[in-house]
Amino acid sequence: MNIEQTARRLRSREISAVELARESLKTIQAEQPRLNAFITVTEETALDQARRADDDLAKGIDRGPLQGIPYALKDLFDTAGIRTTGGTKIFTDRVPAADCTVYEKLQAAGAVLMGKTGLHELAYGITNNNPHFGAVRNPHDPSRIPGGSSGGSGAAVAAGMVAFALGSDTGGSIRIPAAYCGCTGHKPTYGIVSRYGCMALGNSLDHMGPLTDTPRDAALVMDAIAGYDSRDDSSIPTPAGDFWRDNFSLRGVRTGIPENFFTERLAPEVAAAFHAALDRAKSAGAELKPIRVPDPEALNVIGRVILMSEVSALMEPYAHRRDEFGPDVIALIDQGRLLPATDYVNAQRLRRRWQREWAKVWKDIDILLTPTAPIVAPKIGQATVSLGEHEEDARLATTRLVRSINVLGLPAVSIPLPVSGLPIGLQIIGPPFADNLVLSAAGCLA
Amino acid sequence: MTDWKILASLRCPDIPADAVARIAPSLDALEQTFRPLAATLTPTDESAVTFSNLQERAE
Repeated sequence: MNIEQTARRLRSREISAVELARESLKTIQAEQPRLNAFITVTEETALDQARRADDDLAKGIDRGPLQGIPYALKDLFDTAGIRTTGGTKIFTDRVPAADCTVYEKLQAAGAVLMGKTGLHELAYGITNNNPHFGAVRNPHDPSRIPGGSSGGSGAAVAAGMVAFALGSDTGGSIRIPAAYCGCTGHKPTYGIVSRYGCMALGNSLDHMGPLTDTPRDAALVMDAIAGYDSRDDSSIPTPAGDFWRDNFSLRGVRTGIPENFFTERLAPEVAAAFHAALDRAKSAGAELKPIRVPDPEALNVIGRVILMSEVSALMEPYAHRRDEFGPDVIALIDQGRLLPATDYVNAQRLRRRWQREWAKVWKDIDILLTPTAPIVAPKIGQATVSLGEHEEDARLATTRLVRSINVLGLPAVSIPLPVSGLPIGLQIIGPPFADNLVLSAAGCLA
Repeated sequence: MTDWKILASLRCPDIPADAVARIAPSLDALEQTFRPLAATLTPTDESAVTFSNLQERAE
């Protein structure tokens, strides 16, 4: 389901918002037993909002391209009166009293909420094998993970249940499900989409953003959800409606191709798809520039120290309820509780140093291309993956190429590459606030 | 090298010993990669997270 095309159908009265919502509900009903993408389906809310969208359109009130479009929110975006669980037993019955900023903005844009999608518990993991709400499954092969932690959002978009979904990305959690499920996922520059009213995982690493069919659609969602919010201390003023460059071309775009780290230890099918993408970029006029980037492996380590410390600080009041957490999540919370405060502070100091080093990278290139993940979606329950002679933890392999970008707060989008087997993602990274550049470049490569 | 078992018994006695034993290898690996990085820090290295009064001014 594509936002641009659907918005045109709505405005030509080819279909109504209520009919669209009913179609979406029908697809959700059909796919939910296979994929378990949703924790809560908000049928009444959806039909109410769809009726309002139709009424407004009939009165000539046009709220923009998202009006009447069915979408879903990861179940950590607070929705007043609608249960928001964070995918954890601890908050199974939590019903927020107020909406998060993003949901307020999407209501103002006239979009139609179909439900709340499944996630890895607390968004703290990438499998979405959730012990409390069941495993979310990959639409391309239900024996495999959808990637996470926004796996329900990725599965819902890829299976055509909704036109777009919102996710959060703390160490790759939007881009990974986009890559494994075969859709577009955009992690915005840190601070341009409000985190207010979203259940935090790692405050200084959390980014909210869209999963969509196309990069153009991601830009349309960004137009609606971005903007300064005084209730979010990390919020930064950004120009509204500036996430897409019409008639953009890759001609002359200095396109960095990493010589180190991002092209190491790739599954053969990922390496082949990535190199084919580089050929397409070159054919489209991009100026390919091999480049060595400041050690992302170190950034991954720094990111893990920051994340574990921040999560454990947040979850400290609940840590004594050990048996209510999944075993993987309580193990991570335990680890964070044992890290000294000096490690956290030093990790934030190292982060600032790496940020300065990476700022130099953008003097030589405009965008950086990497695979999103070095592997295709693992099987549910698969603990390790073989990469040549290396045996690697499947979770660490999955986050290896994306986590560092959260530490830097850079905009990055994952788009599906044209492959015949399981989906493979291409990651396009840019300097801070170049969200419109990475999205427009993604549009040329999609 | 940190003795995670002793540390946990002092700081987080609610974490069972068998749970500490399971996470110790991960913490060891993290410590081995993180400490050499931290050792390169100098007094002029500021934190990425700094206190600011800008929010107060905005309000």
